[in-house]
Amino acid sequence: MLELVGVRHRYDGRLVLDIERFAVPPGAGLAIVGPNGSGKSTLLRLLALLEQPTEGEVRLDGVVVAGGQAARPGSGLRRRVTLVEQRPVLLRGTVLENLAFGLQVRGIGRTEVNRKVDGVAARLGITPLLHRRRHELSDGEVQRVAVARALAVEPDVLLLDEPVSSADRAAAQTLYRVLAEERARRPLAICLASHQLEDAYRWADDVRALAEGKLAPVTPENLFRVELPSAERGGDLKHVCVGTIEIAATTDKTGPAILAVPPTDIFVSREPLASSARNVFSGRVTRLAHQRPGVVHITADVGVELVAVVTEEAARDLGLMPGGPVVFSFKASAVRVF
Amino acid sequence: MDFLAEGFRRALALLVSADAEVYGIALLTLKIGLFATFLACGLGIPAGFVLATRAFWGRRAALTVVNTALAFPTVVVGLLLYGLLSRRGPLGGMEWLYTWQAIVVGDVVLAFPIAAALAAAAVQGVDPRIRRTAQTLGAGRWRTAWTVAREARFALAAVITTAFGHVVAEIGSAMTVGGNIRGQTRTLTTAVALYTSQGDFGLALALGLILLLLALLVNVALQMLQGRGHA
Repeated sequence: MLELVGVRHRYDGRLVLDIERFAVPPGAGLAIVGPNGSGKSTLLRLLALLEQPTEGEVRLDGVVVAGGQAARPGSGLRRRVTLVEQRPVLLRGTVLENLAFGLQVRGIGRTEVNRKVDGVAARLGITPLLHRRRHELSDGEVQRVAVARALAVEPDVLLLDEPVSSADRAAAQTLYRVLAEERARRPLAICLASHQLEDAYRWADDVRALAEGKLAPVTPENLFRVELPSAERGGDLKHVCVGTIEIAATTDKTGPAILAVPPTDIFVSREPLASSARNVFSGRVTRLAHQRPGVVHITADVGVELVAVVTEEAARDLGLMPGGPVVFSFKASAVRVF
Repeated sequence: MDFLAEGFRRALALLVSADAEVYGIALLTLKIGLFATFLACGLGIPAGFVLATRAFWGRRAALTVVNTALAFPTVVVGLLLYGLLSRRGPLGGMEWLYTWQAIVVGDVVLAFPIAAALAAAAVQGVDPRIRRTAQTLGAGRWRTAWTVAREARFALAAVITTAFGHVVAEIGSAMTVGGNIRGQTRTLTTAVALYTSQGDFGLALALGLILLLLALLVNVALQMLQGRGHA
């Protein structure tokens, strides 16, 4: 189990990560979702023991390995956790030499190195690239090689930062298939940072949202960075500009905040409903995704992109289809502000 | 102009005739230069690595000291070293004053900050992801440093060239602690200064040309090395 406990991490005095507890259990498939600058990469670098947290601890199997009173982690600990960065780089040499690097530093013999390199290259479909150098590869190919290089060393925890950001659809599917096979083959925990919710839901067992360096207490859809106005007449009801719409929310907070609309709290209809909901937005369905059995994620453009979750039966009864009209309604009290 | 042309003619004649004194001075300079460069870079490049990659108390101050030391007047270094190596100095027992070893020590003192400062800059110029990649793949401290060094190889080669160029062109310290003794501590630069003051312009020019040739050869070697490099 790899954990961050009470971590507050700063760059030049600026707080970039504030996490009470975050754990990657053995064998877990975890996705961290959040916008750019939310702290995903920093979180992964701390988990990879590449940075020391300014405050707090990183624990591996309950033992403090970074931060606190722990000495700077050595290569022995790092060998259990491997990170593939968002824009990975290849080391000097051929792809083959890159794949062999991590195995060689572990003192593995040449025959075994060759066997493992051939195996991982075949699984990721990069065998034809083995004798190329980094300047002869596209960004997508570099990303695949970097993932293969990390898988070759068979870590206990694999950390992936936007691993398909440069990949086409087929390459992304290959990668997710290989990751699933790898987890089935041996005990491997994977923690993946992504800004693509769809991929995260399709692949991960658990999806966590990160916003402004903090783990959000809600699911990662419908998160907006907003500026809350000062108190209006009539109590804590505030109208907050989000894109081209105004969302009514009840909160006593003012200033910068994260506003979240839980997808399960959105009523979906074809026509506006007479109800107590303060937020009623008409728009068009942009996507229907069957991410889990019996459940449909409806993405609609209502001025901003919102996601609602309904049962398959409800979606069928409403006759929803991409491009078709839809109305999303939710109460002001359903809107979470933090 | 005749004076210059005559100087060049004499210089070429000395070079072509393989004059023993000229080549003796050149070989001694090369020996001192190689020893001093080896020691200065052997100490300075690892120091540069540490300055560039390790966070420790006083790092900023150490960088400032190293950068300031780049501008050390060579005569002052020679003077301090003279005080240390003279019979009354703390290192007088070594009896190194007026030996080629004393010139090497002076050159190392002068070239060390160059090697350290330029190596630190070279390492800082390497994409930080290279270091993180080596670490996350399980490389230990030395293997990580080697991986970074491979990426900075051209800049580090330039560090060695610069240090060598500085060492062979240095005169203040060599003159003070070497004494410019014929056949023992007379280097190309001290000899050029001496023969010019004696009015033997041709000999001085011949030695100056060899000095230029040495610098040229080192740079050509570096360029050939760079030409063979692969990404």
